[in-house]
Amino acid sequence: MDRNQLAKWLKAPAKMGHKYSLHAVYFCTGCGIIEVPPVITARWDAERFGVIPVATPRQANLFLITGYVSVKTLKAIIRTYEQMPEPKFTVGFGSCPINGGMYWDSYNTIKHLDKYIPVDGWIAGCMPRPEAIFVAVTHLWTLIDKGMADGYKRYRENYKYYRANQEQLYGTLEWPPLFPIEDKNE
Amino acid sequence: MNKLKETLESAFSDLQVSIPEDDRLTIIAPKDAVLSILSFLKSKGYEHLALVSCVDWIEEEEFELIYILSAYMQKDDEYTDKEKTNIILKTRISREKPECTTVIPIFKNAEPYERELHELFGIHFEGHPRLTPLFLEREYKIPPFRKDFDTREYVKKVFDEIPFVEDKIGQT
Repeated sequence: MDRNQLAKWLKAPAKMGHKYSLHAVYFCTGCGIIEVPPVITARWDAERFGVIPVATPRQANLFLITGYVSVKTLKAIIRTYEQMPEPKFTVGFGSCPINGGMYWDSYNTIKHLDKYIPVDGWIAGCMPRPEAIFVAVTHLWTLIDKGMADGYKRYRENYKYYRANQEQLYGTLEWPPLFPIEDKNE
Repeated sequence: MNKLKETLESAFSDLQVSIPEDDRLTIIAPKDAVLSILSFLKSKGYEHLALVSCVDWIEEEEFELIYILSAYMQKDDEYTDKEKTNIILKTRISREKPECTTVIPIFKNAEPYERELHELFGIHFEGHPRLTPLFLEREYKIPPFRKDFDTREYVKKVFDEIPFVEDKIGQT
């Protein structure tokens, strides 16, 4: 353990725990997932940074969206995200989740991921190099330190709007709301 | 391959058979003859249906269905170059009333291809057991792979209409 960080550990042990045990849910969307196997295996060894892939969203707290998101995949993404325990962090990987990328006029690819689920950080590029994942992870550490990686809080607070956007895209959703939606107008 | 070409021309009328390249045989056939040609080719050893595809010729108001066949390796000295040959069977159907008979009785693996074409081009395959949605989640008024489907207008209407959550928070 780094002695310089001892004060931080004593001050906020939970935060430091979140920082150094980012468990990524092994969820593949689009082409970016091809960068992830070298990242988690010996060549780049993501475990140096405390990032390991886990099999189920129940054990994960980092969600990498690794590429273009089709309408059908978004449904799976929302369900996976809602199953993850808090605190949870989402990182959009590649230019497609940011604004559609090369699929900006596609009939079946959503353009802005952050309209449907909150996103804590973006990695731009098509494709980003594996090193970019580590840059993102270290940035995420800074954000967690400062309490700015608050996507899950925003999701809880503004769930009404996120749910409304999801329903606008799909018509009806097959699952009940995650948080109670209170209508202030009534 | 020339032998196969002659056999095809003698067995069927109004076919246009050509050999545009080595190891490639193109057949342009009317819609009604597709089933009999495919079963004939299957009996000749071309047992692998590699692809069923479609092209939208919007100016001619026609869809072009394309079946690509090839053969598995086998010891047969009748057509020695058979293993390498791709057979491309093309047929035109009208765009107004896109209907065609299914080829599932001959090639069972045509089922997902025909479902895909039904979903993306709106072609109705008669006799297909389940023409249900395959890939797409939403319903489209015009099937999205047709040339008159305007993707930009669709994107503007559907994805760009959804507001950013930050804007919504700012309003209240």
